[in-house]
Amino acid sequence: MTALPISNSSVSVPCIEIDAVSKSFDGGRSFAVSNVSLDVKQGSLVAVVGGSGSGKTTLLKTINRLVDPDAGEVRIDGVPVSEAEPPTLRRGIGYVFQGIGLFPHMRVAENIAVTLGLLGWPVHEIETRVTEMLDMVDLPQDYARRFPHTLSGGQRQRVGVARAIAARPRIVLMDEPFGALDPVTRDGLGSSYRALHDRFGMTTLMVTHDIQEAALMADRIVVMKDGHVLADETPHTLMTGSDDPDVAALMEVPRRQAERIAALMTENRPVHA
Amino acid sequence: MPDAMAELLSGARSDALSDAWSLLPTYLTPHIVLCAAALALGLLISLPLAVLAADRPRLRWPVLAIASLIQTIPGLALLALFYPLLLALSALTMRLFGFGIPALGFLPTLIALTLYAMLPILRNGVVGLNSINPAVVEAAEGVGMTPRQILMRIKAPLATPVIMAGVRTATVWTIGAATLSTPVGQTSLGNYIFTGLQTENWISVLFGCIAAAALALVADFFLNLIETGASERNSKRMMLGIAGLALGTFAGLAPLLSNEAATYTIGAKSFSEQFILADLMGDQLKAEGFGVTRKDGLGSAIAFRALAHNDIDVYVDYSGTLWRNVMGRTNTPSREAMQAEIVRWMKAEHGVTVLGALGFENAYVLAMKRERAQALSITSIADLARVAPQLTIGDDLEFLGRPDWASLKSVYGLSFKTRRSFNPTMMYHAVDAGEVDVVSAFSSDGRIAALDLLVLADSKHAIPSYDALILIAPNRAADARLKRALVPLIGAIPVEAMRAANLTVDRDTDKASPKEAARVLAKAVHLRSR
Repeated sequence: MTALPISNSSVSVPCIEIDAVSKSFDGGRSFAVSNVSLDVKQGSLVAVVGGSGSGKTTLLKTINRLVDPDAGEVRIDGVPVSEAEPPTLRRGIGYVFQGIGLFPHMRVAENIAVTLGLLGWPVHEIETRVTEMLDMVDLPQDYARRFPHTLSGGQRQRVGVARAIAARPRIVLMDEPFGALDPVTRDGLGSSYRALHDRFGMTTLMVTHDIQEAALMADRIVVMKDGHVLADETPHTLMTGSDDPDVAALMEVPRRQAERIAALMTENRPVHA
Repeated sequence: MPDAMAELLSGARSDALSDAWSLLPTYLTPHIVLCAAALALGLLISLPLAVLAADRPRLRWPVLAIASLIQTIPGLALLALFYPLLLALSALTMRLFGFGIPALGFLPTLIALTLYAMLPILRNGVVGLNSINPAVVEAAEGVGMTPRQILMRIKAPLATPVIMAGVRTATVWTIGAATLSTPVGQTSLGNYIFTGLQTENWISVLFGCIAAAALALVADFFLNLIETGASERNSKRMMLGIAGLALGTFAGLAPLLSNEAATYTIGAKSFSEQFILADLMGDQLKAEGFGVTRKDGLGSAIAFRALAHNDIDVYVDYSGTLWRNVMGRTNTPSREAMQAEIVRWMKAEHGVTVLGALGFENAYVLAMKRERAQALSITSIADLARVAPQLTIGDDLEFLGRPDWASLKSVYGLSFKTRRSFNPTMMYHAVDAGEVDVVSAFSSDGRIAALDLLVLADSKHAIPSYDALILIAPNRAADARLKRALVPLIGAIPVEAMRAANLTVDRDTDKASPKEAARVLAKAVHLRSR
């Protein structure tokens, strides 16, 4: 991997602009996303946090047009996404699913190469790139010929990340990427991804229900509930207090856990809430 | 049929078995061609339809309902239905575009079998496509695949195992149902079964069943390789299955590719005499170096129309049948006047050539067991008419529906207590066992002598003569080679020779195949043999 696609001077320019977007799946009786506006700066990693039904996944899908909004507009580098053909748009944006997003009938190498093939890369470049990607996500080279069902959950998600970023996208969207994994694997994968994100200057929007994961990985956290944005702050600001009672209650969880763990480490006795 | 099984296993009837073996290429090749074409066409129609229906519930329901409905029509009826349908269509295209469509043989069978093959492929296609995890499809959209790419790269390979299971079902059904194509004039392994049933040659019937079952098993074996290969993503296994099928089809087609130049199609109705005469004519043509194909077991009414439409080139029919059933005449002129009029009418109305009479008559006659007739003092139909109201008549499924019967009834005032219908073989069993008193026998039937039946005299000439005539299709009217090959048969077969030949095929023990009987007959009447 060589040249970064952007220069440092453009870091403060909004890369993704979500502008007053609304989406209803029942003809307007209720809104999954209701008049949401959000800017994601070039090179930042933003986490959208919320419970199920908060509208966070719907919001994410408006960016690569898996969902088209009823009102409002999504722009990338100032250009409305509605002007692009969905397949073309999506090939330029990395997309990470929960584990099942891999194609079960394709080998690991074929899964990683899928976007490259769609973009028409020459075969030998694809092969080189697949080798590079396996190294990058710390998978042994001989995994290339294996099928997804022979891999562990963590290994599968490494393949998912490799597939998403193989074509060197500037933007990566992640939908509960590490949700189904055990805590150790999850923490390891989270840190690895953050390192890759920084190394290649990618812009990432990540949806998660896990506030702790969001706090440890993201530059900014957007809290959603019932289709509305409750808060849009840095992890530091959120951890040190919020006016919104829902947000305050949400942030209280990792803070209290951190205190209890700190106490465990110093007092060497069980701590009860 | 344990006796037949024992015969088959012991090889005691090795001649019948070797006859069956020698016919295998003739029957197997068209069977394979037919099944392969029907399945290919079925796939070609069903797969796109399944793709359309899978995403559209409003289309899915009617499509699957219609396919299921077709499946409930019995195979034989479905095949038979396409004959009049295509005949009507042929008349239409003839008027509009100046050419007709063959209404017999390959086309109606292909259409019926294709319709039959569609349901399992369609149903499994829809199920296979709809059972794919929606998250996988969304991932495919997410990486930027177009709907077409999603279909070809994701949905199709993931649904293949389920679709292949449907293809296997369709294949086994098609290979089985194709045996029913014989009565509409398409040669298949069903010829073993239908001619075997007619001539009570159980070895032939069993041979046909076993051959069809074996073909189905072999095809299913290779399709299973493709199916399991697809579900285990084992491409070697899949290729092995595909190669096996391709090789098998090619091997089945090989005789077709190395075919002789000129071939004539000989038709035969569904009784022993017709099979023997078709073999006799076939041998004559082969001796001249021509190729011969057969359309056997044609219905009595279908045979003439097939000839007039050039679906068959030559067959034997009987003057009385033509006079009454084809020409619709009700009078009974003298034999010579009738033949002259038939020759004229055939040429004028249909362009059909009457080559000549074989020399014997196969008339409908009324016959009784001799001792029963003597006990009732009956020697003629006039005698019979007096006691008929106390008697039972057995017919061959046709006679009581023919003008001959109407004529007998009106001329003699005949009326029976009970009527029963049998296939011809069973009819003779019935009169022999005393289950019926009178039967509608055939004058050339060897069983009249073998069962000691008395033919009742038709002193009032209510029934016309039934001379066996060779008829030639309009397209072959000017074919001198065909005529030259068949002319030696004209006037060459006396009724005794025909009866003897018929008996060797129709009797219950020590049966001969029509082919053997034709050879013996040729020798008996001093025809040039191969």
